[in-house]
Amino acid sequence: MSVHNLEIIGRVLRASTRGFCCGTNSANINQRHDFGAFVKVPITNDDHQWVIGLIYAVEIKDDLMISELVMAESVDPNVLRDQRANRMIPVEVSVLNIGYYDGDRFFHSLPPRPPMSLSEVSLCTSEEIATFTQRSEYLRLILQASEVPSDDLVAMALRFASLCYPGQEDRRAFMIHNGRQLARLLSNDLKRLSHILTLIRP
Amino acid sequence: MTTRDILDDFFPRDASGRPILTTESGRLGVVVGGSLSKGLVVKLDSGQSVEELAVGRYVVVHGESRRFFCMINDVSLNSANPAIQNDPPDISDPFMREIYYGTAAYGTIHVAPMLMISEDGKPKPVKTIPGHFMSVYNATAEDVNDVFGAEDATHFNVGAPLELEHTQINLDLKRLVERSIGVFGKSGTGKSFLTRVLLAGVIAKGQAVTLIFDMHNDYGWEITDERGPKVKGLYQLFPSKVTIITLDAESSRRRNARYDFEVKLGYHEIEPEDIAMLKGTMNLTDTMIDAAYTLRKRWGEKWVKRLIDGRSDDIDEIVENSNIQGGTLTALQRRLERFERWEFLVPETVTDSVKTIIDLLVDKRQNVVLEFGRYGNSLEAYILVANYLTRRIHEAYVEKVEKALGDAAMEPPQLLITIEEAHKFLDPLIARQTIFGIIARELRKYNVTLLIVDQRPSGIDEEVMSQIGTRVTALLDNERDINAVLNGISGAPGLREVLARLDTKQQAIIMGHAVPMPVVVKTRGYNEEFYKAVMQGDPLDGKPAQSVLGTGGRSRRVN
Repeated sequence: MSVHNLEIIGRVLRASTRGFCCGTNSANINQRHDFGAFVKVPITNDDHQWVIGLIYAVEIKDDLMISELVMAESVDPNVLRDQRANRMIPVEVSVLNIGYYDGDRFFHSLPPRPPMSLSEVSLCTSEEIATFTQRSEYLRLILQASEVPSDDLVAMALRFASLCYPGQEDRRAFMIHNGRQLARLLSNDLKRLSHILTLIRP
Repeated sequence: MTTRDILDDFFPRDASGRPILTTESGRLGVVVGGSLSKGLVVKLDSGQSVEELAVGRYVVVHGESRRFFCMINDVSLNSANPAIQNDPPDISDPFMREIYYGTAAYGTIHVAPMLMISEDGKPKPVKTIPGHFMSVYNATAEDVNDVFGAEDATHFNVGAPLELEHTQINLDLKRLVERSIGVFGKSGTGKSFLTRVLLAGVIAKGQAVTLIFDMHNDYGWEITDERGPKVKGLYQLFPSKVTIITLDAESSRRRNARYDFEVKLGYHEIEPEDIAMLKGTMNLTDTMIDAAYTLRKRWGEKWVKRLIDGRSDDIDEIVENSNIQGGTLTALQRRLERFERWEFLVPETVTDSVKTIIDLLVDKRQNVVLEFGRYGNSLEAYILVANYLTRRIHEAYVEKVEKALGDAAMEPPQLLITIEEAHKFLDPLIARQTIFGIIARELRKYNVTLLIVDQRPSGIDEEVMSQIGTRVTALLDNERDINAVLNGISGAPGLREVLARLDTKQQAIIMGHAVPMPVVVKTRGYNEEFYKAVMQGDPLDGKPAQSVLGTGGRSRRVN
């Protein structure tokens, strides 16, 4: 498992074994920071173990300058462009831990330790996502996470993961396989199941 | 490993390249509960359609150290959450349907363990059950062959199990004929065809000689199939092994059916015991039967003819010198007068029909079909003749077996007597006294067993039913008949559902002595292919006996 510069989405701000926040600046925000993306970060003091997580919130912070601009009656377009292009507005990306890699294989459970501050957080490759999602136990961690919008997160994660599969048939098969797993996990909450299935329906 | 390889591992594809969504190829589901007495409950895997699983079909549970051969006897629908019944999901979208089926809503099958196959490959009676979550598979041809063996000198292919039409169910004919056989089924379910297939097997493999009381001329010569074409009778299949005799030569001529000789029975050969058998059908009272015994004692062997002639001095003499009332005598006389309408009954006979039949059966090892012609419509005639002949043949067999003193080489061949409308012979009220009841109960002691064909097994004496070794049962829908057939069979509650849902044609359950476990078969078609298979080995190979032997008239064959 390695990090390619192009896939770095930020650095760890704070972390726990349940999840972590990473920061970047607003100029770097792009598709890599999409809600539901699979990310990875090395575990503290261990180059071989990596936390695997899902982005569940992207928060663009404010400051006094922005507050004043928002309240202004009219804003010069040049000021607006300057504000967006040149000012360093902090962005916080929240990640839910859904597993880890121990150098040999993936585990669908919380990592033994959190990642260290300022560790580079990067996107998982499609091979890594495909391998990680071969089993579906990670879905339980998402569904049980009370601090995240779990229904939308699980649906978005599955949509992301399905994009790793080249053909329409394979994507559909992947969705059906995971849909069945969701049906087993949510057999006691049929309305929630129905909602998630509607979200992942191809 | 590339992404593609990973995907292929995860989603194996079928021959057409589509991803396979089931867990293992051929797997139906897993055992989730049950007991030895009530059978096992199997939860079906996702992707297994309940519509594809029919009762009567075989499945195999792969336990930890043995395979359990089971039969599906119920199919049901379940849900993980009962609330789904109040708010069913919309499954018009195939995606939703595929997800819900097998997960939130799933099918279960109930299977009855029939046999277990241990590591040495030998089938054994089931005495335990597989553990939780053992995989259940469709039975394969190998599984079926492990249980039913291959067709050989003593095993005869009677058809294929449901959904496994390329395999065979081979009956052990040696075991089949050594105890009595019952062929049951409601009217129109193909009992006669089923019986003809069994008899063809017995004759082809030479496991017994048969005497068939052919009520409706169904077995000897060619028969018109209900669907139109004519099918061959046993004589046409085995001209060197079958002799047709008839009670009604006129009918045989009309039907253009060949026969070897005509049977005539003398009035003097009829005994009061033969009359007692007709109690139900001729509405005879106990007093009339007692009168028959008295007449036989006083008048000797010509008592029947003398009573029918009814000379007044004869009648007066009996009334005066015995305790028989005049009214009783007249009533008995009136009933026995019906005998005069039967041309096969004559005052005197030249040949001894019983001896001829025994010679054919024992010395010439011939299978004898006795056609009743138009008398088949007269139940009284059928019962009288069948009882009359069987009693005497049985007596001869008892004598021969006792003379053989256990020397198997001296014993007469195993004899299988086929009777139709068996409940008329084996009614609980008379079964204890009739020769058929005796034969059914004494098993193979004297090398005579019965093949009884009936549509009302509930009308047969319970003790006789319990002695029937092998039961071949087509569709039955009467509760009492189903109970009668399943009485004494292990796993009967499960088989009840199977029995009531057989197809009306060409399907039957075979259970008992000749098969290691109850089996639902789609019976072999009685057609050219069948003829070819069973006729192999007949010295005349299907050619008319006359053309091979080169002599004899139309109604006489040289034996």
